[in-house]
Amino acid sequence: MELTDADLIARVLSDDDQHAFGELVRRHQSSVRGLLRQLTRTDLSLADDLAQEAFIRAYKNIRTFRGEARFSTWLYRIAYNCFREDARKRKELVGVDEELLQAEHDPQIVDPGLRHDLMHALNLLPLHERTAIVLCCQNGLSHDEAARVLDIPLGTVKTNVLRGREKLKRTLAAWGPN
Amino acid sequence: MIDDETLDRQLREAAPYIDDEGFTARVMTSLPAPQRQPRWLRAMILLGLAILGSGIAYALSGGFIRQGVIQLSNFPIWLLLVFAFGCGLVVGAFAVIFAIRKTPEVRDFTRLEL
Repeated sequence: MELTDADLIARVLSDDDQHAFGELVRRHQSSVRGLLRQLTRTDLSLADDLAQEAFIRAYKNIRTFRGEARFSTWLYRIAYNCFREDARKRKELVGVDEELLQAEHDPQIVDPGLRHDLMHALNLLPLHERTAIVLCCQNGLSHDEAARVLDIPLGTVKTNVLRGREKLKRTLAAWGPN
Repeated sequence: MIDDETLDRQLREAAPYIDDEGFTARVMTSLPAPQRQPRWLRAMILLGLAILGSGIAYALSGGFIRQGVIQLSNFPIWLLLVFAFGCGLVVGAFAVIFAIRKTPEVRDFTRLEL
């Protein structure tokens, strides 16, 4: 029987079992790195550095994890904080405005593959909408969980998801992938 | 225009699983070493506290313990042996329970069996 996240966390807490923490990293590395790749606009090395920092922070602070939320939600929150701190340092915490989004609508410059188009459209969204879409639509978090990860009101998350979805739909419709 | 469900499904499908490719190993080598007290220090602290507690209990008993020991010496030897054996069983049982709770492999095994 495969151990649950809670079992592995209990091992880390009671025995400082680093192998158990390694298993947690193995389980969640893909989703955490995927989230950070979206946030950093596919800057792979930066995303992986931030993911590594996030897991190290999670290990150091695992005693503060009270099990009220899913472990993955807690990890996303740490990863998002790592990204925000790094972005603040780099002064890049700005989204792409509507004008740029409209300019990027030209179907001539876009790869015809639907997935590629979708990811491209996702990358064009402002940061707050992109983050909400990635957490809720791609990683399956509830609006409430996403609000906790991003530390913003629930209504704001819902608005960001709604707006992000609408923009993606509009963008995909304009590209006419079918 | 596509609906929400289709869009969400396409978003999930568009996000590929990212292979580990040494990422976990890099994280593990960057983790700080576990901060544990040496085992002998823990044992010495526990032993010291036990001796200190016994001393305080003896000092506060006002001769009660000494009188109790004298009275015990009047008991038949077989009764003292049974008493000592019973005490040993109780302490041993607690030690086994504590050891199981502190040993992850045994803990997981007992959970599997259940």
